[in-house]
Amino acid sequence: MTEVTKTPAAGDALPVKTGKRTNPLANVFDELVRFAQSRSLFMLHYCTGCGAIELPPAMTSRFDMERLGIQPMVSPRQADILLVTGYVSVKTLKRVILTYEQMNSPKYVIGICSCTVNGGMYWQSYATAKKLNDYMPVDIYIAGCMPRPEAVIAGLRGLIEDIRRGTADTWKDYYRRYDHYLGNQQRLFGEDWQTPTDVIAEARHYGLFGPGTLGERTALLERHQKPLEALEMKLDIPELMARRSGLGSKGRTEVK
Amino acid sequence: MSKDLSTWLDTLLNELQGIEVRRRSSRRIRVDVQPDALPALLELLRGRASYVHLSAISCVDWIDEGEFELVYHVWSYEIGSLVSAHTRIARDPGVYISVYDIYTPAAFFERDIHEMFGVFFEGSPDMSRFILTEWDGPPPMRKDFDSEAWVNAHFDFQDYQPDWLQEIEAKGGGVAVRPDEQRFSRRDLDAS
Repeated sequence: MTEVTKTPAAGDALPVKTGKRTNPLANVFDELVRFAQSRSLFMLHYCTGCGAIELPPAMTSRFDMERLGIQPMVSPRQADILLVTGYVSVKTLKRVILTYEQMNSPKYVIGICSCTVNGGMYWQSYATAKKLNDYMPVDIYIAGCMPRPEAVIAGLRGLIEDIRRGTADTWKDYYRRYDHYLGNQQRLFGEDWQTPTDVIAEARHYGLFGPGTLGERTALLERHQKPLEALEMKLDIPELMARRSGLGSKGRTEVK
Repeated sequence: MSKDLSTWLDTLLNELQGIEVRRRSSRRIRVDVQPDALPALLELLRGRASYVHLSAISCVDWIDEGEFELVYHVWSYEIGSLVSAHTRIARDPGVYISVYDIYTPAAFFERDIHEMFGVFFEGSPDMSRFILTEWDGPPPMRKDFDSEAWVNAHFDFQDYQPDWLQEIEAKGGGVAVRPDEQRFSRRDLDAS
């Protein structure tokens, strides 16, 4: 385990890989943690296309995803799985990437339907992204047009098995090869594309800073990056504004 | 009542010079009109003949004739019929006059047509990007836009990997993909 006492700079040596731990109980503990992780997954379903129609039966009593420990979650911050169901248009892809970057690690991406694999029936469309794993690492694809709930459950079982074995770590790839993913994103959105999430700093934080994290594409990002500003807050309540300005000057005010 | 209105409308339209009226059915009339007379016709239909609902404006790219065909569909609730006013404008420069002052919803249809076909509507309130906010290519619904070439230049395809099929077939499923249907990514094509 890497201790996060200081953030390594760009030129620092990579954190030392600890490998298998010497304490035998530590491995037991790790396995227990992985088992618990695999049995308690919160799923954010980004319903981009028609494949979303197969999710209600998969979630509700007929096929009952919850018996596998998978529940829908409403916000990306609390979700483990990002489920992209169906075609991803270029405009939607921006939002999918924003959502993905906001999720906490470890995070898993599942692409459902042929469209996320290869564009599906929209392979010739100018507005649809073809290959989801060009833009973010994908753990499991569930092919089909559309896959039945049985297939969705089978795919989720595959992911659960991967998590339990500790092999579902494609999310680390996003940090290790950020330059590659950013390059593909810039190819669609232009070179001034930026997200509110500082992926490079996160890579340092997680100790996943790899040789592919920085490159010519991230240099472009740094050149075009504008500092994020807090949204302007406008209150259009005269009484409240009078009270606030009064507090600033006198400490108290009279409200008519 | 509505039958009378319908008859009057037929008589009225047939009186007008320079337009061609074809009644397709009891509830559909097709009118072909010169581009300079179309706003006047719509004004007449809306103001005098109760066609208050502009259902849609559609556009067809007749690339061989070098023309865009604009079709204005207007509906009357009282008569219960749809008038489709067809007009053709030159493909180059592709500029036409907006009917926003007659029908307010035209703003959205015109903005959409501007985005998809590149027809500029003079007097329309907003001609900025509507749906394709990320788009920087030519208008994609024009007949001379090669969608497949655009896709090949901007996207990669997943490489076809027969191992996947073996894995699936081992579980008792799978379909064969014919060689002419297999697609490979652009990078591999460049390398070979």
